[in-house]
Order: sequence, then structure tokens, then C-alpha cells
Amino acid sequence: MAEQPVDVESGGQNVAGETPAAEPEAVTDDTTVHDDDVELERTIGLTGGLAIGIGTMIGAGIFVFPGLAADSAGLAATLSFAIGGLVALLVALPTSELATAMPRSGGGYYFISRGMGTAYGAIVGLGLWLGLVFASAFYLVGLGHYAHAVFIELGIDLPVSPVIGIGLLFGVVLTALSIGGTENTATIQNVVVGILLVVLTVFLSYGVLDALGVFGRESAPEAFFSRGYFPVLTTAALVFTSYLGFAQVATVAGEIKQPGRNLPLAMVGSVLVVTVFYIVTIFVATSAFGADRLGQFGETAMVEVARDFLGLPGAIAILGAGLLATFSSANASILSASRAVYALSRDALLPRKASEVNLRYGTPHVALLAAGGPILVLVATGQVELLAEVASFLHLVMYGLMCVALIVLRRRDPEWYSPSFRVPGYPVLPGVGALASFGLIAFMQPTSIGLGIVVMLVSYLWYRYYAGDVTLKGDI
Amino acid sequence: MTDRPSILVPIRVLEGESVPEGVPALLANAHVVLLGYHVIPEQTALGQAQMQFEDRANSRLDEYEELFEDAGATVERRLVFTHDGQRTLDRMTTEHDCLAVLVPNAAGAVDDVLVAIRGAVGIDRLARVVAGVFGPTGATVTLYHVADETETDQDIQTLLDGMTQRLTDLGMEAASVETRIEREQNALDAIVDAADASDAVVMGESDPSLATFVFGMPAAQVADRFLGPVLVVQRETVPEREE
Repeated sequence: MAEQPVDVESGGQNVAGETPAAEPEAVTDDTTVHDDDVELERTIGLTGGLAIGIGTMIGAGIFVFPGLAADSAGLAATLSFAIGGLVALLVALPTSELATAMPRSGGGYYFISRGMGTAYGAIVGLGLWLGLVFASAFYLVGLGHYAHAVFIELGIDLPVSPVIGIGLLFGVVLTALSIGGTENTATIQNVVVGILLVVLTVFLSYGVLDALGVFGRESAPEAFFSRGYFPVLTTAALVFTSYLGFAQVATVAGEIKQPGRNLPLAMVGSVLVVTVFYIVTIFVATSAFGADRLGQFGETAMVEVARDFLGLPGAIAILGAGLLATFSSANASILSASRAVYALSRDALLPRKASEVNLRYGTPHVALLAAGGPILVLVATGQVELLAEVASFLHLVMYGLMCVALIVLRRRDPEWYSPSFRVPGYPVLPGVGALASFGLIAFMQPTSIGLGIVVMLVSYLWYRYYAGDVTLKGDI
Repeated sequence: MTDRPSILVPIRVLEGESVPEGVPALLANAHVVLLGYHVIPEQTALGQAQMQFEDRANSRLDEYEELFEDAGATVERRLVFTHDGQRTLDRMTTEHDCLAVLVPNAAGAVDDVLVAIRGAVGIDRLARVVAGVFGPTGATVTLYHVADETETDQDIQTLLDGMTQRLTDLGMEAASVETRIEREQNALDAIVDAADASDAVVMGESDPSLATFVFGMPAAQVADRFLGPVLVVQRETVPEREE
């Protein structure tokens, strides 16, 4: 069991006089070791890691986006998802290297604050928290659409659309469950992801065979770039929200067993798995209906696709799967957001109070409320595409900076930086990763970009005001 | 600490569990691996609980460490925050090469010790624990075996004699070792009944696996019903698990 020393020194204090919590002494396969013989047990294995990654991602790409993407890019939406997957992979590899060098909780925020300093760290960290808040809100609105579809299926005609109301309700329920629940959530997550993958594999296999004409039906042939070339990129920027989950694996890096092996496998593996599923899904969906009709079905287009193939049972299966998937994505994102708050508070960038654990349940109620509260506000807007894009924007900034941080660290080559996984094709691959991440931002709607920039600015000002003296950068 | 058997003493330090009365005296001749652990829900980052509870947990462990040291034991201690208590116990057992885990129930003066013997497997470790912990105290050790129909008295006597031999080799007085054979009773009930007359129980882990010791295996059930301290001798650890 190789012990990996941790030699990052943090210092300074914030406005409230709090200093960053002490860094651990060493990292082993099974624990994070602090002084005084205090150890933090690593309990998440490879399966758990993959389930976090896949579980967070698969909800959006399959159950919310197909209709929206086909509407804006036509059949070429397949290509948009492929581009998204490629960018995610370009970032997942550098992230893996950073995570094996610094297998600590906090993910991208931790890497960037240690590699590039507190200012970047603060922007990314606060951005990560809010990015996850936007993402959770997006999943919850998606969940609302699925619940609405259930009502329609049952023939219950509601006078007003229940989408936002249900999203809000589940936002409250999830936050409350996270604060008061002590069930084995990781096991549940593994099971949910397993069920989803089985349902989708069956459904998509059938769909592919059908699309290839095995069942003797004509599928709708169509021009690939029916909406032109440019929308392929804007759609890629929109659907990138479907690829945010792999970084969530890094936010629990401190709890992953054998981080040197499991972190890269979980991150790269989950990106590859969901990319394949997304591309096949869009292919199947567009060949069933053609992009135009698919686009009209909106967020719950997949239900209609399933109905077309397999009748009512198919529609019900996909409805159930969609509820489950958006629910698990929202849940995973709320938990990650609370981890982000903790990481910031540990480093004195947010009040220490924010990471307080309550005695009754042993859960971080303040951090969870700091995630759940803003989520409700955002859900109330009901703007699926805007929420998705802002979430993507904030994540893409972090992804780009992670690639930059990797290059910075490799060049300075501090003694404590000894990743067990090294990215292939350095410096080209992380360089392209950074460019691709920042590049994708350019294809977003102006409103999303504007909102994203405002969040970053506010984050920076907060850092200057609250924690200007805190240093987190690793020693050279 | 060469001859002292390493005994793991797990304490859920923040849930009001403490070192019960009599336990330090019981382990006076052992090398105590004092494990304070705190199981937290998965929603909570381990470091978060550590930040808040470390000081409190450590000050309690300080007290416990002193109790054991005052009684004469050598002590090594760890504080672990975990999502999975069982995993932590297993890892500690392996890492610190613990022969046995103590189920910490209160103990009085220990004059009679019941040693439940299943079979020849692991008997060597059992002997090291018994001789190491109770040898120097002069307590009477009763080797106890619950037989099934297929075993002849002779088989069992050979088994128990072998154990007695080992114990005397390890420096115990032959006079303080007794043997007893029980038939016609379910093993668990038999052990609990026999334990009533004793002050402490030493037994092996039961067959299934390491993974079940604390939460409901025979050893734990014995501990629940006996209400005295139980030393559960761990099987030889197999090198590293998967994942």
C-alpha cells in the first residue's frame, strides 16, 4: 500500500478570522491520513464510482434532450452528442490525472485552487456550487415534465401545467431526505443505475433493429444536416449538460478506494458509456419519427418513441425510467453541491458554519440547504434550456481551467505532484481540452453566457471581500 | 509487545459508547489496538465530520488510552471516520495484525473463562489469545466443545488435549485448564448457557465471513445474550480483497 505524501500548505484567514482546515498528511489506498492517527476511510469502489458518474449523467441526455436537440439540429443532433462526448473525454483524462495526484474531496475546485491559486479556486468553487444548483434545477424541471406526462397518460387533465409545481415539490423532498435520511443511498444509486441501463439496453436494441429495417418498417429517411451546420455546435453546447456527471466522481475523490486505479476508470468509463447510449438514443429517436415530429414532443419525446415501438407498455417503461433517472440525477447533483459548499468552507472561502454537521442525523444541513434553497428559486423559472446552459457554462469554465491547471502543474512540477495516472499526449491533449471547453461556451445563447459571467464576477468579488488573504496554492 | 496478543477494541466513540468497567483490567496483558470510530451517512463528507468532531473524539480517546495504560496494557490508537463501520473494523484487524476483536461488555473480576472451540482450524491463534490474555492472571480456563453426532468422544478429547498442550507450551499451568464437552444442544444456546457461569468468553469467528462479525453473527449473538466481554478470535487474514 503506497503512501502518497500530501505537501500542500494552506494559510491566511478570511474576514471572519477563520483559517483553512489543515491538509492531511498522506493518502493511501484505503484512507486519507491526518495527524494524531486520525483516518478517513475510503468506502466507494469502482462500481460505486461508475454509478455516480453514469447516474448523474444519463438522466439528462436520454430523457430530456432528444426532443429539444432534434428540434434544433435535426438528425445531426447525433453529431452534437458525439462532440459533447469528445469534449467530455478530453477533459475527463486530465481530470483523472489531477484526481490521482490529489484524491481529495472537492473535485475540480480542489485541483484548481491548489494548482493555480485562491482566486481561480474561488471562481471555480463558487461556480461549481452554483453550476450544480443550476444542473439540479434543470433535472428537477425535467422530472416535472415526466410527472406531467404520467398525468396525461392517466387521462387526468389538469387546468394548469404541473411541471414547475412537481419540480418544486421534489426539490423540497430531496433536500429533506438528504438532511434527515440515513438509508444506504449509495446502494440505492447502484441499483437505480443498473435498472436504467437494463431498460435502456433492451429498448435501444429493439430500436436499432427497427431503424435498420429488421422489422420491415420504413423509417423516416432524412437529410443529416437538415438544419445546417452551425446548429450542430450550438446544440452540442446545449446538450453538454448531459456530460457533467464525471466531474461529480472527482468531488468524492476523497472517498474512493484505490484512487489511483478507480478514479480514472470511473471517470473515463462513465463518459464512454453514456456517450454510446446518447448517440444510439438520438439515432433511434430520430429514425422513428424524423427530427421535426420528435422536436414537437419536447422534453418527453422518448415516451412517444417508446410508444411507437412497443405500444403502451413501452411508454410506461420509459416514463418510469425517466422519472427514476431525472430523480437520481437531481439527487446526485444536490449532494455534490453540498460537497462543493463543504470544500469551500473547509478552505475558509465560505463561513465555517456552512459545513456544520447536525448531531441528530450526522448530515450537513446548512450545506444541503445552501444547495436546496437556490435550486427551488431556479426551478420556479421553469426554463429548461437556460438552466442547462448556465450549468454547462459554469462547468465548462471549470473544465477548461482544470486542463490549464494540469499544464501549469506539469511545468512547475512541484515535488508533491506525483499522479499515478498520467494523461497521454501531453501537452496537446489537455491543451485541446481547454480550448474545446472554452470554445463550446461561445456557441451558447447570449443570456446564458451573460448569466454565467455574472456568477463568475460575483464569485471573484466575494473572494476579494471575504477571503482575499487566504492562500491555497501548493508549494513549488 | 512481542508476546502480547494484539486485541482490537472498537468503540463508537461519538455515540456514547465507552470502555466498560473491567475491560482495561481484562486486557492488562494485551497489546490493545484502541479504535475510536464514527459512522456517518453518505450525504456527509468524511472530512466534514472530522472537522467538527475530531477534538471531542480525541479527548475521549485520550481518557480511554490512559485507562488501558494504567491497567498495564500497551496501547496503539486510531480514530477513523467512515461510511462503513464493518470495513473499517476489517481493515484495522488486518493492518494491525489483531488476533481478536473484543466485544466490549462490562466485566467483573475474571476468574473463569469459557473458551469455545469449534474444531482444529484456527486453534493456534485461539491458544495465543487465551494464553496471552489470561495466562498471567491465573484465571481458570474451561475449554468447551459442543459436539454433534458424528464426533466420537475420542476425537473431541484429542482436540481438547491438543489445545491444552498448546496452552501449557505457552506457559499456562495445566491445573488451570479444564475441559468440558456438551452434546444434544444447539451450539449457540449451549455456549450462552455455559457462559453464565463464566466471567468472559473467548470464541472463534463463525464460518460465513469476516463481513458479518459485528452485526449479528453467532459471536455477536453470544455477546448480546451473555452481556459479558467476548473476545472473538479472527481468522488468519487472506491477503487483500478485490476492488
